[in-house]
Amino acid sequence: MSTKQILKLDNVVKKFPVGDGRYFTALKGINLEIDKGEFAGLVGPSGSGKTTLLNIIGSLDSPTEGKAIVMGQNISELTHKESAKLRNIHIGFIFQVYNLLPVYTVFENVEFALILQNVSASERKKRVMEALEWVGLQDLADKKPDKISGGEGQRVAIARAIVKKPDIMLADEPTANLDAKNAHQIMRIMKKLNEELDTTFLFSTHDEKVMKYLERIITLKDGSIAEDKQVTPQKTLK
Amino acid sequence: MKLAFQIAYKNLIGSGLRTWLNVIVLSFVFVVIIFFNGLIDGWNQQSLQESIKWEYANGYLLNNDYDPNDAFTIADGHGHLPDSDTKNLTPVLIRQATIYPQGRLKSVLLKGIPAGQETIALPTASLDSSHANIPVLIGKRMAETAKLKEGDQVLMRWRDKNGTFDAADVTVHRIFDTSVASMDNGQIWMPVERLWELTGLHGQATLYIADSDFQTENFDGWNFESQDELLQDFRDLIEMKKVSGNFMYIILLFIALIAIFDTQVLSIFRRQKEIGTYVAMGMTRMQVLRLFTVEGAMYSVFGVVLGMAYGIPLFIVLSRMGITLPEFYQDMGVNLPRTIYPVFGVELIVLTVLALIISATLVSLIPARKIARMDPVMALKGKIQ
Repeated sequence: MSTKQILKLDNVVKKFPVGDGRYFTALKGINLEIDKGEFAGLVGPSGSGKTTLLNIIGSLDSPTEGKAIVMGQNISELTHKESAKLRNIHIGFIFQVYNLLPVYTVFENVEFALILQNVSASERKKRVMEALEWVGLQDLADKKPDKISGGEGQRVAIARAIVKKPDIMLADEPTANLDAKNAHQIMRIMKKLNEELDTTFLFSTHDEKVMKYLERIITLKDGSIAEDKQVTPQKTLK
Repeated sequence: MKLAFQIAYKNLIGSGLRTWLNVIVLSFVFVVIIFFNGLIDGWNQQSLQESIKWEYANGYLLNNDYDPNDAFTIADGHGHLPDSDTKNLTPVLIRQATIYPQGRLKSVLLKGIPAGQETIALPTASLDSSHANIPVLIGKRMAETAKLKEGDQVLMRWRDKNGTFDAADVTVHRIFDTSVASMDNGQIWMPVERLWELTGLHGQATLYIADSDFQTENFDGWNFESQDELLQDFRDLIEMKKVSGNFMYIILLFIALIAIFDTQVLSIFRRQKEIGTYVAMGMTRMQVLRLFTVEGAMYSVFGVVLGMAYGIPLFIVLSRMGITLPEFYQDMGVNLPRTIYPVFGVELIVLTVLALIISATLVSLIPARKIARMDPVMALKGKIQ
């Protein structure tokens, strides 16, 4: 694994039991390498294995066969505590439905990631405000999630994921619940963070709007990689 | 652990009504448990004091032939001590008699006691001022059941020492009020000197009441029962009350704990995306377990705080003003003061707080374990059934 390499998947297979001793194979021998600073996307239709692959990379799940090496650690060999530590320090998640904690304010939602890292209160305040500034939400710090729009909610989720400056951001259909304007805004923010912080972004999406921003598109079909290509993002988007 | 407290506190405060409903139920349970325990402790203390004051003083010297629990021993259960031995002892002669208030027959215990005695609180001194032929004292309960009032005369029949029936009118000189039912129900008190005359049992006593200066000695034919021994039955009754009360507390606690358990179990379904998010953000299983256990325990802490907020002023008022029981409680046959002053000790409060917090923590642990073992992928999808 090179120093630039963030993750390496080696013949990853994932099977789910469907009863009667039968299994559904969601991933069929995936081989993939992602380097630091990439802005890549897993694309494909529903059921192609995008989210399953993202979950394995995020150490929320483990492969049935093969090896998934993330930040030099084999996901299959990690204990619960070690995989929690991996997520806590190295991985940021962005979900389709934002998954903000409803009883917390915007500030507290973003702060939560740092509390888990035992960051001091003064440092937390500084970094949360910085993260909110990146996504342009410093004015909404005291609002609860139910008082902000969907686009703002997803920007809070980005701030929450990026505040701990993870090595890799995993975004599962981040624009699926957003209108075109908000989707573009979200993608522009993430691209900016990718460029400024050199954070690796890996999306799962079938949204054309997202694909236009990607520098690498990995197409999944029926659990296998059908195509893996480097692309040049449309200049107008930059 | 600090993290669990921090997050649990925010989660509970942020949950609004759901939290407060549980907290209100728990605070109610907390207050009710302390209230009833305080009431029983107050009753216990008061009744013991009243029993000592009105009935037992420092103990009884009982004639060996007399068994307080066997009415058939009254006829022969008497004797006398030499005058030199009766220092600090008040004689009580007990006989069986029958009265006929409004033509009805009523069996009574006729008790003679020196009018000048000060060993027990029975107001016998007033008997000296009576000009009636046979002045008697009766208690309020006896007066009510026999429908007698002060100044009334009622025909009484008794046997003398030879077993011969005799009868005369007795005059109710005074009706006394005591919470000690065994000094009142079915009893008539008269000067022992008069009873000696009526029965021919001069100088005889069924028992002697010892005052505080009495030194225990061996008296042939007599058995001394100390204050502690005499109060043992009452203490046993209180213990029994406490045990039966504990069942009620357990039921109340159970209801409150079910509310916490229900809330925590519902969290498995209602908050699964939140739990999945915690895990995705890097919380360990142990941290999730601690968080949900602390959340459950915190309900009880909030319940205690709320319970104290309205319970302590209530307890202070009740312990000062007391709780006056309805009249019909006086007919229950147990020593029940008309007004009970509950006693709320620190030990009682501390033990109740601990019981509540520990049981809430244990109850929360069960669903919290399940929550901590959730599959984060399924939780994030909200697919846990």
